[in-house]
Amino acid sequence: MAPKETPKMKQRPIVRLGILIISHSVVVSVICCISGVVALLLLPILAKNTYISENALMPGSANPMLSDQDVGEANKLVNALLDLKSEPISSGRVSTLVAEFISDLGAEVGYHKFYPESNQFHPLHFFSLPDSGSLQENVNCSMYGINVIGIARAPQGDGKEAVVLVTPYNSENADLSDALSIGLTYSVFSLLTQVTWLAKDIIWLVADSRYGEYSSVSAWLRDYQRPVFGASLILDSDTCDGGSRPYDLDNFMTCGKLIDNFKRAGTMAAALVVKVTEKSEPFVDTLNLYSEASNGQMPNLDLINIVNYLAVHRQGLHVKVKKLIPLLNAKWLNVLADILETVGVIVRRLNPQWKFGIPAAEYIDGTATLASSLYYQALGIPTGPHGAFRDYQVDAVTLEFSPYSLRKGRHKEFLLRGSRLIEGVIRSVNNLLEKFHQSFFLYLLTSPGRFVSVGVYMIPFILLVAPLPVMAASLYMNIFDFGPNTETGQLAVSPRSVTWLDAAKMVLIVHFWGSIVSLLPYCICQMDFSTPTMNLAIWSMLSALCFLLLCLVLGLHFNQTEKAKWVVLKSATLSAVFIGLCLMSVVNFATAEIGALLLVPLCLMIHPLKINPNMGTLVNFSRMALNFILLSMAFPPVSFFLLRGAVYGFHGIDIGDFWMWVESLWAWNSATYLYITMIHLPCWVLCLHILLHAR
Amino acid sequence: MKETLKVHFQFSPMAIRILLLSLCLSNNLYASSSAVASSSQTATHTNNWAVLVCTSRFWFNYRHMANTLSLYRTVKRLGIPDERIILMLADDMACNARNKYPAQVFNNENHRLNLYGDNVEVDYRGYEVTVENFLRVLTGRHETAVPRSKRLLSDEGSHILLYMTGHGGEEFLKFQDSEELQSHDLADAVKQMKEKGRFKELLIMVDTCQAATLFSQLHSPGVLAIGSSLKGENSYSHHLDSDVGVSVVDRFTFYTLAFFERLNMYDNASLNSLFSSYNPSLLMSTAYYRTDLFPRRLEQVPVTNFFGSVMETIHTDRPYRARKRKESQDRIRMPLKEAVQDNQQRRLSDPEIEVRRVRAPEDSIGRTWNSLQNKMKIFEYPETFVYYGLVMMLPLLAVSTWLYS
Repeated sequence: MAPKETPKMKQRPIVRLGILIISHSVVVSVICCISGVVALLLLPILAKNTYISENALMPGSANPMLSDQDVGEANKLVNALLDLKSEPISSGRVSTLVAEFISDLGAEVGYHKFYPESNQFHPLHFFSLPDSGSLQENVNCSMYGINVIGIARAPQGDGKEAVVLVTPYNSENADLSDALSIGLTYSVFSLLTQVTWLAKDIIWLVADSRYGEYSSVSAWLRDYQRPVFGASLILDSDTCDGGSRPYDLDNFMTCGKLIDNFKRAGTMAAALVVKVTEKSEPFVDTLNLYSEASNGQMPNLDLINIVNYLAVHRQGLHVKVKKLIPLLNAKWLNVLADILETVGVIVRRLNPQWKFGIPAAEYIDGTATLASSLYYQALGIPTGPHGAFRDYQVDAVTLEFSPYSLRKGRHKEFLLRGSRLIEGVIRSVNNLLEKFHQSFFLYLLTSPGRFVSVGVYMIPFILLVAPLPVMAASLYMNIFDFGPNTETGQLAVSPRSVTWLDAAKMVLIVHFWGSIVSLLPYCICQMDFSTPTMNLAIWSMLSALCFLLLCLVLGLHFNQTEKAKWVVLKSATLSAVFIGLCLMSVVNFATAEIGALLLVPLCLMIHPLKINPNMGTLVNFSRMALNFILLSMAFPPVSFFLLRGAVYGFHGIDIGDFWMWVESLWAWNSATYLYITMIHLPCWVLCLHILLHAR
Repeated sequence: MKETLKVHFQFSPMAIRILLLSLCLSNNLYASSSAVASSSQTATHTNNWAVLVCTSRFWFNYRHMANTLSLYRTVKRLGIPDERIILMLADDMACNARNKYPAQVFNNENHRLNLYGDNVEVDYRGYEVTVENFLRVLTGRHETAVPRSKRLLSDEGSHILLYMTGHGGEEFLKFQDSEELQSHDLADAVKQMKEKGRFKELLIMVDTCQAATLFSQLHSPGVLAIGSSLKGENSYSHHLDSDVGVSVVDRFTFYTLAFFERLNMYDNASLNSLFSSYNPSLLMSTAYYRTDLFPRRLEQVPVTNFFGSVMETIHTDRPYRARKRKESQDRIRMPLKEAVQDNQQRRLSDPEIEVRRVRAPEDSIGRTWNSLQNKMKIFEYPETFVYYGLVMMLPLLAVSTWLYS
């Protein structure tokens, strides 16, 4: 194009490069897409070993001080809790018992009464913090939980900072492992009330998890971070004072005192959620790390590093992060791993300096972990109570211990190891001078000790989305430069700008429709339909109806026949997808990455269902088939079921599952929901429109 | 009238002579001590100062404070009094909330020695330790309100030990995590000190990473510099105290202290033996010393010249009697002569050097004495001269009274 228009004027190299790329858009697109996927598959190899980035942390530099005596005390508490279990009414007693134990240590004790908030769709609450004002609307006064808070003040500290330990405890359904989790934290806490080296206060929150672990922690955090003053406080307590109280917490609290005595310490430097599960691992005590918070936010990598370092190198625990287990046995992955290993061997033979390639088993493991890391970040739903802390920019991680056996005799040994680990982490965080800031916040884990940083995992995404603007520009230019030669010359009738405006209008209207679709569930929730399948059906019907209405009102025509129309529309769609994906990559990278994998090939390949006489039948049919396959795969419900089927198997799939899944997304204010309805779905509809184009 | 005039006339040359004599004496005395100001070659080592600086703050830099405090104890033990030590500590580890032993600082995991015990005078602490204040201390350009105890009141006869520890890099030393002292800043300050006659000899000892680079710009005579590591090398900590939870001392300082641990005030181990005691494999870095600006041979300089307060003393039987000084030159006490009992390696084995060292001060001081002696020979015992004069006055007095009567 350029040489025709300005044959004499020499253009700047960057412009010429751009024109060169655009003129070879097909080749560029194919190369970029393939290399994007390849780069994604190479991420486990490119992963680096984690390292402690912050100098101040110094994990493991001090010997653990926790002794058998602390563990013995903790064991007493465990036994007392187990004894309570046999008693009929135990829920209130548990709080009292724990509070007694805490006050015996000389620490401050407080209670926190909260009303669990049912998760509900708040269309306007995306990206905003939970608001204390909205609390009163839908609380059930007879349902409340009581958190117990113990605070160990730092003897020489300035009281400006605190480290939080959280132990979720469900008194109604407690068993040995729950009691052990309390005992574990108690032994650490009892040590911390005695030591001289604390610089940060220690808050121990025994979260009443009868109504969910997350909600109790988030309720406490909400009240901690947003002190309520004066009238509203009384109002709040009044609202529910009339409700019958099933039990009395001895002389520790009355309702008024309860709220007045909200115990606080300084700003939170970090939080550790401690859990013990029953599912036992063979041979070794295992520690499962959960770190994903809402919208793919992660705690600072340093926090995970110190936990991992201390667990592995000091306490000899086996540390695990979540994996997509089905991937481990996937045939294709095994083949790929073998190939990559061979490549690695060859590369090393060429130059021993190049460290490329890892053993096949490690690669498979890394890929399974990476996929899980990507999936849970993309989902945008926190994987544990630690997610509540991330909403307040506090780094938090859930430590889930699974001892290899819970026989009576092993309690103490397990308690000793677990609590020494927690002590070490706290001592390390205690050394911290500022917030965690040195290490990465944007990363994907491929194992507890290996990570892919943002700089590396951006590459596949960039490679995937790079062809979009190139292709869009190329289409837009081609239609006006070369279009008249190949087509019948109708283009001359419609000026460039008008065609472009039509396409842009179409794209905008479809996106507008997308935002309406995203709000529909709010209305559906108001009407009370029983089954998820029903809800889903209503949702899709309403969406379709809206689309038709919009088309009628705004006058969209489906019978445009010129080639120019659909090409320009494709160009506009590509731009919209590009913008949408780039925006999403800022909000939640993992979502954008997965979305790009689904959308980009579709958008690049999409072509009307018509037979091009210039090409062979085989080419035509293969293109059609490919279009169909890609289009159906990119449809959100289909891709959901495909992914689900690939991971968990196809049996027992219910259509209503999709509704449940979407419901969980909006209930947790996940940006992924917005992405699906406002970017993914409209783009899919636009592609469908192009596919069904008459000519 | 005429007579009295005569008498006066007769008296005056004598008086002038006496005056001259006293002037000459005082001039000579003055010259012997202060004419040296112009060149360090002739200055006498009269006093010792130490400037000990820990430049880094934060709990995990505990070892830097421990380093500095250990050096502080050492130089104090070897005889530099507190008022001649400027101690700069950028952070207070002793009272850090993370310290398991409140108000105590240790440089060894055996916890036998509390460095922060009694009698620690910190002159600049916390945020007072800045590059600006450090340069002010060196150059003596203080604001008027700064007390004497915070000033380096050295003179042209001073030997100064400047010890710095912290985090450094190529040609810089980090102060307080916010600013840095660059090698040319240091060189400039030293040059100013030299021109203002603030030292005779200066030993700069630096324990940081790439410490050697900090000396690259120095070019003032009389400066001896030693750093813990070469360019591109790190200086490492010696050991971790797993009770306190931090590293408590750096390798270079640890081995320096180990060297001094075996010395007392009267030992005459030379700087050379100190410098050669650094073992690169133990240090995990290469100690570097820059001697090209230093006039003396390291073998001839006892460590106590910098790390202690031992200097050549001049014995006089009676103070203020210049006559006796002639004999005193034979009695100049040479502490260097005293043998080192404990360590063979540290003893200076070469007798020639020994001899030269004994003679060396004779060359400088002796010359002044000789010139003084020559001047005194003109008058050949001034006191008898005065006595003769007085005796001669008696007949004159008798004659004059007789004439009047």
